[in-house]
Amino acid sequence: MSTTFLPCGVYHENYKQDHAWWQTKFIKSKMFLLFITLFFIIPWISDSYSLSICNQIGYTILGALGVQLLIGFCGQVTLGHAAFLAVGAYVSTLLVLEFPWPAVFVELGLAYPLSIFIAAIAAGLWCVLFGLPSARVKGFYLILTTMAAQFITVDFIITQYISQIGGRGQAFSLPPGTIKVGPWVIDSDVKVYYMMIVLTIICVVGVVNLLRSRVGRAWVAIRDNDISAEVMGINIIKYKLLAFFVAGFIGGIAGAVWISNLAAISPEHFPWFWSLWLVGVILIGGVGSIHGTIFGSIFMVVVMEALQMAVIPLADTYPKLLMDFLFIKEAAFGLAICGFLIFEPNGLAYRWWQIKNYFNLWPFSY
Amino acid sequence: MELFFMTLTTGIMVGGIYALIALGWVLIYKCSGALNLAMGELTLIGAYISLSFYSMGVPFILSLALSLVIGFILGILTERIFLDRLIGEPVLTVIMVTVGLSFFFKGIVELIWSTDTKVFDPPVFSLEPVRFGPIIVGQIYLWSFLAAMVLLVIFVCFFKYTRWGLAMQATADDEMAALSIGISARFVYAAAWAIAFMAAGVGGTLLGNINGLNISVGYLGLLVLPAVVLGGLNSVPGAIVGGIAIGVMQNFCGAYLDQYFPGGVKEIAPFAFMAVFLLFKPHGLWGWERIERV
Repeated sequence: MSTTFLPCGVYHENYKQDHAWWQTKFIKSKMFLLFITLFFIIPWISDSYSLSICNQIGYTILGALGVQLLIGFCGQVTLGHAAFLAVGAYVSTLLVLEFPWPAVFVELGLAYPLSIFIAAIAAGLWCVLFGLPSARVKGFYLILTTMAAQFITVDFIITQYISQIGGRGQAFSLPPGTIKVGPWVIDSDVKVYYMMIVLTIICVVGVVNLLRSRVGRAWVAIRDNDISAEVMGINIIKYKLLAFFVAGFIGGIAGAVWISNLAAISPEHFPWFWSLWLVGVILIGGVGSIHGTIFGSIFMVVVMEALQMAVIPLADTYPKLLMDFLFIKEAAFGLAICGFLIFEPNGLAYRWWQIKNYFNLWPFSY
Repeated sequence: MELFFMTLTTGIMVGGIYALIALGWVLIYKCSGALNLAMGELTLIGAYISLSFYSMGVPFILSLALSLVIGFILGILTERIFLDRLIGEPVLTVIMVTVGLSFFFKGIVELIWSTDTKVFDPPVFSLEPVRFGPIIVGQIYLWSFLAAMVLLVIFVCFFKYTRWGLAMQATADDEMAALSIGISARFVYAAAWAIAFMAAGVGGTLLGNINGLNISVGYLGLLVLPAVVLGGLNSVPGAIVGGIAIGVMQNFCGAYLDQYFPGGVKEIAPFAFMAVFLLFKPHGLWGWERIERV
């Protein structure tokens, strides 16, 4: 399902065209329009509420990208990715708040970008640590190991030990002005939006390019059949651990970026629910598709917000409903996962592919 | 030394309840090959149902029986509505459907019964502790253990001697052969889910009696995962031994390690143990060893 047909009448004449990212003028102008929309139109027309939804979508995309990489492209199921997001967020916070940066770094606003990078590496290594069992076990057993990663990291290490550093109690507060990228202090939704969108684009482009390379092909081979992958000369353990590293790396970026949106950071931001949520996002969007990650994130965040919007007018008649909204959300999420898996196992990305091909092949779709 | 024996007995008693819940999990896996991550929520549902009946004034034994009946119905419904369509789908799909189910059930439970801790009022078991020489055990633990053991024996007898149980065993052993001698596999799957619901319901009710009932009892239900991994995924005796071992280990960690690692070591230890155990013996103590290269 990954191949998209070219529109009628378009032929490649050399390999460069065949390998190009955007192969037709139409796609190029579409991407240009998307760029304009993302960078100018959305910040211009939206108020701070819809921008905060956009930021949430960006965060979900970044978080789900690593899960997609592991589940969709390498076949290693993870149910504890929020742990790696948490590692990224906490490493970045600790570096920004506690590390004695030289004054030059702080003035130039390099501390936070550097801390994002270090946090991403730390999260990647932490992810590799829990990916090590993948050398010996697979399938259900690996799921249990990643679940253990969640409980050990978030519920034990971070809640009991990391949160106590500096004697702040449960939460690290991030005073306004601490998060600074270059000359800009990240203090409004618009600035968070720009940072988020740039990082999301970098990560998505990076992952897509990685999947076009030898590494990506090796991952897909492992996913499809690990024995034949090994027969073809792929070092399975190396590539599996590499997948875990990259997934943790992106998760670390997601966590580290998200702290710019929060006034304080506490372990409650990374519950087990969030790990499962990320898996749900890629299941609904479509496993094994980068489009699916993006569609799934948009779908989940927007639908949940719409659900909230629908609940608020009813709140006058049923005041209990507003209080119980969280539970309705949970039940709806569970039902959505079940429904998509039973009735549309290929996810939203499959529909998108169908629509695209319909127009590309029109009028000769046979 | 007294502390040691007290911890040991408490651990065994709590472990008996885990063993009961783990039995339900193993059954589903043996019969239909579905790896169920919704076990925690199944315990919650059964526990809340019997609590509701009990607080309406129904005697405890009767409310437990009623929760068994409702658990049976719910189990069959769940299997028919959700799992029946997934026969033959990849493992991940089935696992994720059970994850979806766990959210769905949890949301419904929270919606109906809210998240506050509820207790069985008046207490079902008297608070007077029982003494065996130097060892003091709460009556709740003792009765829960006895109830769990009785049910375990009933379930095991059910498999060994009744027609339905034998049908389930046959399906677990070889589905094709079972189909050819006229056993309905769909019926067996439904029965497995129904029994899992019932076992989890009783386990949840007993756990709810010990510490009061709230959403975190569902977390205790998740402890079956370390238990079944320890015993081997498809072994009934393994589930029982694994459940008791996890209960004992949890209580020992609470008693001895808590002073070195303050906080939640009791909750985390089974999972940490599971992660390490998987590295060395992924098929558990008595699970089928499928030889495969990774």
